[in-house]
Amino acid sequence: MESLYCTIFIVDVSQNPEEVETVSSRIQQLIEDHGGIIKRNNPWGKQKLAYPIQNKNYGFYVEIEFTANSHLNIPKTIEQEYRINDRVLRYLTYVVTKKELQHREINAAKMKADSKPVPSADESSPKSKIEDAAKSEDESPREEKVEENVDAGKIEDEGSAAIEEKAEEKEEEKKDEQEREQETQESVDVEEGEDVEKEKPQQEEIPEDKKE
Amino acid sequence: MAKLRKKRISRLSENGILFVDFRDTKLLVRYLNEQGKIIPMRTSGNTVQQQRELSKAIKRARHLALLPYISDIQR
Repeated sequence: MESLYCTIFIVDVSQNPEEVETVSSRIQQLIEDHGGIIKRNNPWGKQKLAYPIQNKNYGFYVEIEFTANSHLNIPKTIEQEYRINDRVLRYLTYVVTKKELQHREINAAKMKADSKPVPSADESSPKSKIEDAAKSEDESPREEKVEENVDAGKIEDEGSAAIEEKAEEKEEEKKDEQEREQETQESVDVEEGEDVEKEKPQQEEIPEDKKE
Repeated sequence: MAKLRKKRISRLSENGILFVDFRDTKLLVRYLNEQGKIIPMRTSGNTVQQQRELSKAIKRARHLALLPYISDIQR
């Protein structure tokens, strides 16, 4: 069975940035020697890692796509090379599915449509409008609360006894809002909103205690 | 009060093709909580198939250090 493979690896460039070329050329050579055909060589560039690997915070991502017969067992040979090579921090090799290819085609079509703004406006606008509407619904409660907090902060700078009363009132309002939201909606965005709310009252409470 | 539940239209299968790309970290981050855990189906409203695709993509992204395994820092 002929199948399309995709392999991604992270090269350590902290000591020598030219390592990328040597490693990627070595991998490409391995693929071609074993009977694979390289379809795409796509270096993503130097990126920050989400977490340090071997005490390194940055890595150079390289993506290579190739077709090969599954009998040739090329992924195995490549991964052996990855394991031996010290410069490779991480690697991932997988078979590209039909779904992914379809997904890419659609994305490519979208990109083309976006680059030509005049004809694409009719096609892309309904979806984007719906998304915007959804976003605005989710975000609107959060924005209001932020404004309230900003106001509270301004008043605190002036400094008076009335502040504490106002703050208490606002906290009560917030609690009510939280309860309402918990009853009405159970969704991802709301959860995020709740977390934000929980943290902000704490920040307000701390300075008040110090004053007293 | 009667419980009003919004039917959440998932953005995962927008074009009729259910595929989640692990390179698209902006999308994946929506389905992680602040600690970097995958949000359960009961809160995100995903179907079984969607959740399976999503968790696979997130795990691949984590392996390649595109997403954190654990995070205390806000996005």
